[in-house]
Amino acid sequence: MIEAKELSKQFTDKKRGVIQAVNQVSFQCSPGEIFGLLGPNGAGKTTLLRMLATILQPTSGTATVAGFDICKQPQEVRSHIGYLSNSTALYERLTGREMVAYFGALHGLTPQEIQQRSEEIFAELDMNDFVDGRCDKFSSGQKQRVSIARTILHQPPVLFFDEPTNGLDIITARSITRFIRQCRNQGRTVVFSTHIMSEVEALCDRIAIIYQGRICAIGTLEELRERTGKRAFEDVFLRIIGEDDEA
Amino acid sequence: MTPTITTNGNGNSGARSGSRLLLIFLKEIREIFRDKRTIRSVIIGPLVITPLMFAGIGLIVSTQTEKEKTKELTIGIVGGAQAPSLLAALQQVPNLKVEPVSPSDAEGRIRERKLNAVAILPPDYEHLNADYKPAPIQIMLDEGEANSQAAAGRLQDAFTKLGEQIVLRRLQAHNLSADVAHPFTLQEKPIQSGGNSASFFLAMILPYTLVVSAFSGCVFTALDQVAGEKERGTLETLLVSPASRRDIVLGKFAAVLTTCILSSVLSIVGLVITFSLRGNVFALASQGGLHLSPVAVGVTLMVILPLSVLFAGLLLTVSTYARNQREAQTYVAPLLLMVLMPAMVSMFIGTDVGRPIALVPVLGATIIIKQALSGSYDPAFILLAFGASIVYAAVALTYAIRLFQKESVLVKT
Repeated sequence: MIEAKELSKQFTDKKRGVIQAVNQVSFQCSPGEIFGLLGPNGAGKTTLLRMLATILQPTSGTATVAGFDICKQPQEVRSHIGYLSNSTALYERLTGREMVAYFGALHGLTPQEIQQRSEEIFAELDMNDFVDGRCDKFSSGQKQRVSIARTILHQPPVLFFDEPTNGLDIITARSITRFIRQCRNQGRTVVFSTHIMSEVEALCDRIAIIYQGRICAIGTLEELRERTGKRAFEDVFLRIIGEDDEA
Repeated sequence: MTPTITTNGNGNSGARSGSRLLLIFLKEIREIFRDKRTIRSVIIGPLVITPLMFAGIGLIVSTQTEKEKTKELTIGIVGGAQAPSLLAALQQVPNLKVEPVSPSDAEGRIRERKLNAVAILPPDYEHLNADYKPAPIQIMLDEGEANSQAAAGRLQDAFTKLGEQIVLRRLQAHNLSADVAHPFTLQEKPIQSGGNSASFFLAMILPYTLVVSAFSGCVFTALDQVAGEKERGTLETLLVSPASRRDIVLGKFAAVLTTCILSSVLSIVGLVITFSLRGNVFALASQGGLHLSPVAVGVTLMVILPLSVLFAGLLLTVSTYARNQREAQTYVAPLLLMVLMPAMVSMFIGTDVGRPIALVPVLGATIIIKQALSGSYDPAFILLAFGASIVYAAVALTYAIRLFQKESVLVKT
């Protein structure tokens, strides 16, 4: 469902010159799979996801998402994805219900579809007691649930989560990881980026370790352990990026 | 949630583009008018604050003028004893207190503010008058003092009136009609199509008010639209929706434009309300009553559109370029100055200007409104200025759309 082919992204910064944020990244990811992107801050995870979500254009290389080329058919790609990051916010002066309905309508859903699916999702995420209030009055947990509803309303086959649990308390974070697992079980393709090891261990079917814009290794947790000869995932990670003490 | 995966919005995104634009526009309008700050600056400001402000200024000015008129002033008379008829007549003047004063004291008393002015009558006044000779009268005043000037003015008026009465008596004594002294009767006759004094004043301040309110009415909205969304992190969400960037920027542009037009139209309504409040506001406005011709209204509305497109385009460009609202505000300050300068200039120059002026952004457009209100058109000027402002508006809008396609300004990296 996702196939990245040598995706690269360069930025030109006034002070720092040319920055290679993502360098020749290739990977594949299938329906019913949670694909984890693990890397430290600044490794290029967000840039990679933004390219796949067509917010940014690759400097070179391309990718197909849900069968559409991110460079040639960006609008088709956007129609088939859900995107949730820790920085995506809500429109403060809309109610939770209006917020979800707005994005549903942008995805071309009919008012009936929006109504019916919202009811389902609001019930499932236990949102009915607050969803008619204005978004600026919500707690961060409530906000994140509205964002989840917004992400899933159009039932996208591909989902991107960019550090979705950053800055959230453990209860909210848990509800998000549960939701991500549920998406996988529904047969969706899920890409999940994080710098938190435990989340990767708990959630991801396959893992790509990304460091300084490059993918250093791809595989299941077991494969990565075998490859490095390490047991603890932190050690595995550090060995792969070449920052462990023994190297 | 259903476990099946359906795909939505496939294939026909082009056909839905217009409806997405409309969706974005409607959502922005909904949000804009839920914001109390917008309501204040767009609706309450022009409809309530402006009329109240003008009414207040008018009230203060007119009561002050009324007070000046009825204020009692003191004048000294030198030689009143030798001119009893003149003295008696001066004592009849309302709000004027008459005191005798010696010639040597006169200047000092004025300086001490004991007297506002002094009239020095000739000692042989009664003789001169009897012989039909002009009687030299000196009025002594302190030119640097408002009350002294007012007193001198009242004295002059009084002497003019007295003089007329004396002439009348002399004519009667010779059995001549009073008309002998008035070879002309002068009367001003304002032409029908021209503006009256009220619309002259309106023609001066309306274009300025219009520009200011069109600009200031949508500044906040425009900065909120892109810079504000970047700041709050909602723009990213919108960018991953199927809406194209063109839909997004045009939807937002339409919302800003609506605010801009609404703000300027309401400011005109506010001004018209102000000028229709008769009596206490502006003496000159209530004299003639306000008459706005349909042509003037039509031309004004026609000019508002390209002006608003220009402002909305400029401000949206700033909003897109800036990383946050605070940065955007630093760009708005010089922009506001650039817009205000020509608007201010329009207040002070007449409608009879060279045609190249039509090409100056904002100024040309404001002059058209001024021409329309004062009833003196130059069709070539109107065409030039209108055409120029459409060009400027198109350039601003095109630039705003172009800039919105650039990922480097949209996404923080």
